[in-house]
Amino acid sequence: MNTQVHHTSSVKEYFGGLWDGIYSSLKGMWITFRYVWAVAPVSIEYPEVREVLPERARMRLFNDALNCISCTQCAMACPVDCIYIASEKLPEGSEIKKTSNGQAIRLHLTQFTIDTALCCYCGLCTTVCPTECLTHSHDYEFSAYTIDSMKYDYLAPDIVAWRDRIVKA
Amino acid sequence: MQTRWDVGEPHKPTINTSTEQLKSDLLTLNMGPQHPATHGVLRIEIWTDSEIVAHAIPHIGYLHRCMEKHCENLDFRGVIPFVDRLDYLASMNMEWTYAMTIEKMLGTEVPRRAELLRILTCELQRIASHLMAFGTYAIDLGAFSPFLYAFDYREKILRLFEEVSGARLLYNYIWIGGLWNDWSPEQISRVTAFCDDMEEEAKKYHELLSMNKIFIARTAHVGVMSVQDCIDFGATGPILRGAGMKWDLRKNEPYSLYSEFDFDVPVGTGEVGEPGDCWNRYIVRMREVVESIKIIRQVIEKLEPGSIMGKVPKVMKLPEGEVYFRSECPRGELAFHLVTKQDSKEPFRLKVRSPCFTHTSMLPRVAPGQMIADFVATVGSIDIVLGEIDR
Amino acid sequence: MHKELSDLINRNVSGANAVAYLTADAKKFDSSITVETSHIYKVVEFLKTNKTTSFNSLHCISGVDYTDYMEVCYMLTNYDPSAVRNLTLKVRVTDRVNAAIDSVVGQFVSADFLEREVYDMFGIKFNNHPDMRRILCPDDWEGFPLRKDYVAQKDYNGMTVYPDNKMNMEDREFIVRQNMIKKAQAEKAQ
Repeated sequence: MNTQVHHTSSVKEYFGGLWDGIYSSLKGMWITFRYVWAVAPVSIEYPEVREVLPERARMRLFNDALNCISCTQCAMACPVDCIYIASEKLPEGSEIKKTSNGQAIRLHLTQFTIDTALCCYCGLCTTVCPTECLTHSHDYEFSAYTIDSMKYDYLAPDIVAWRDRIVKA
Repeated sequence: MQTRWDVGEPHKPTINTSTEQLKSDLLTLNMGPQHPATHGVLRIEIWTDSEIVAHAIPHIGYLHRCMEKHCENLDFRGVIPFVDRLDYLASMNMEWTYAMTIEKMLGTEVPRRAELLRILTCELQRIASHLMAFGTYAIDLGAFSPFLYAFDYREKILRLFEEVSGARLLYNYIWIGGLWNDWSPEQISRVTAFCDDMEEEAKKYHELLSMNKIFIARTAHVGVMSVQDCIDFGATGPILRGAGMKWDLRKNEPYSLYSEFDFDVPVGTGEVGEPGDCWNRYIVRMREVVESIKIIRQVIEKLEPGSIMGKVPKVMKLPEGEVYFRSECPRGELAFHLVTKQDSKEPFRLKVRSPCFTHTSMLPRVAPGQMIADFVATVGSIDIVLGEIDR
Repeated sequence: MHKELSDLINRNVSGANAVAYLTADAKKFDSSITVETSHIYKVVEFLKTNKTTSFNSLHCISGVDYTDYMEVCYMLTNYDPSAVRNLTLKVRVTDRVNAAIDSVVGQFVSADFLEREVYDMFGIKFNNHPDMRRILCPDDWEGFPLRKDYVAQKDYNGMTVYPDNKMNMEDREFIVRQNMIKKAQAEKAQ
């Protein structure tokens, strides 16, 4: 099954082939050359110029813990089990708060951590959330030095600063 | 080391060595796993006789992620993000095939608008995938600029997908029973504009690469896979069509609404080279891009407002049974073999029949007797995606 | 179609013992034909060479583990544009320790990689196969992953591949610790 084709070519064929080679290469080069002025640049200079992400873009997950009712549906829907959620019963007689869309918070959320290093950004958890407190933010610059720092505890105090930036009132 | 492969024809050295002293041993050369010409982590063990390949043994499994085992512990909706990662260049087609497999078992009726939009997205994805194949194939053969032009246009499709689904590559967009989000009229009009641009662009690609004398010299009469070989090996998609057989599941076994659409099935005719060589496989892909544009235009004509999600139970439980469902993906026929148990929430067994897997098994058949550079051209022309082979 | 086909197989291949399994709802599910394990090569040879069926391509070999027996499914197709036919041919393997059936590489070259994958995942050996090795897992991997009773090995060449504690254990411990502290505080307050 040797695929090399050996045949003798006439002078006409030889020069015809040569001309074809030069002509088709020049044609290709002309197309490339046109890009110098006829086509607008398509790339952007990243750190200085940033792309505006589409509305539905799925970047880092954010949980607005004040609106969470600890229903654990997000943890059940997650295909890679990256959401750790824990809650306990409210003490007797304590005041029952309400979420922004009017659902009663009957459980006290003690833990809400997302391992962003495991997360596959599929968006299944956000679709099942009944209070829409778990959303994809538009943050995509969150590289870290250790894999442990990819775990986000959404009950930590410093998350409030982040919340102010992401949740638009 | 003994020959592990005796299915292909034994190689006879082509160099005429009259004296015994000139004879030398075969040299073993590893192409990959980190070789740019293998499109991923594929290792091909090549036994070379000077510069001629005597024997090629593909070693796969470097990207094995136990996807089939994982799926046995996931609910039917949770499988979709995993299915995305099979063929990451054509995720929409993967999702659609999986969704259709489940819908067949459930007996779900998908709304007409959802079906049409599925065809629209999957044909756009086919164009994106073929553009990628075009660009990387040019890189394999030493031409760099076509890659940039192809990526420019692929980026437009990805941008549209990002706006619709929220992700650029792994969408989780086609759900069981319908779609996640609807397309807005503004986005549809951008698809129309894209189709017009793409048609012009495809002509440019033909001038740039297809009819280039150097490109033809590198690809014509190289890596010939005959129709009989393709059928024996179970090859499908552009490989089979490039060999000259008119076989497309969208025509031969129409699923979804494909029977309503008017399009051609391009085949390798051998106007350059011969049917079944690298050039014909390549040109089939480029012509399929034009056919996909045709389908997309017809879809846009037929689009009507309506719902995009069919009636699907909230907790998905499938009856006991098994289904083998196949569909036409950019790289060939993708099929899912799904076995379920009564009232189970997760698949009992989900087997993925991936087209590239069978195409890789063809390499030992084509390789013997080729130059190493031609072998690179052959590997590039079957357009391998390792995510799908290794699963 | 499956009924006639199984009759045809029974008439032409003696001892094949083909049984057609027909589903109640043909729109939703697939029917299949189960044949005797020892006769698989002859049946495939008959289905390929004979003129009325002429299945000329083997698309997929899939294994299924039903815990008490294992099944190997052959998806056959014929590329005839006028009459497309697909067939699921099944074979049962009951011996889990020395599981072995005949290879069909002699008829379909595509079976080479496909059978290797079934061997890799289910540990079913294929007799007369030219190159019976693992294909996706490393050669010295223990166990067959897609069997239902598979337990992953802990160490592989000195690397821990299946740790007792996964990455999220720290968090789980954190929760337990927090709860204990809270309980202790509540008891103190009482």
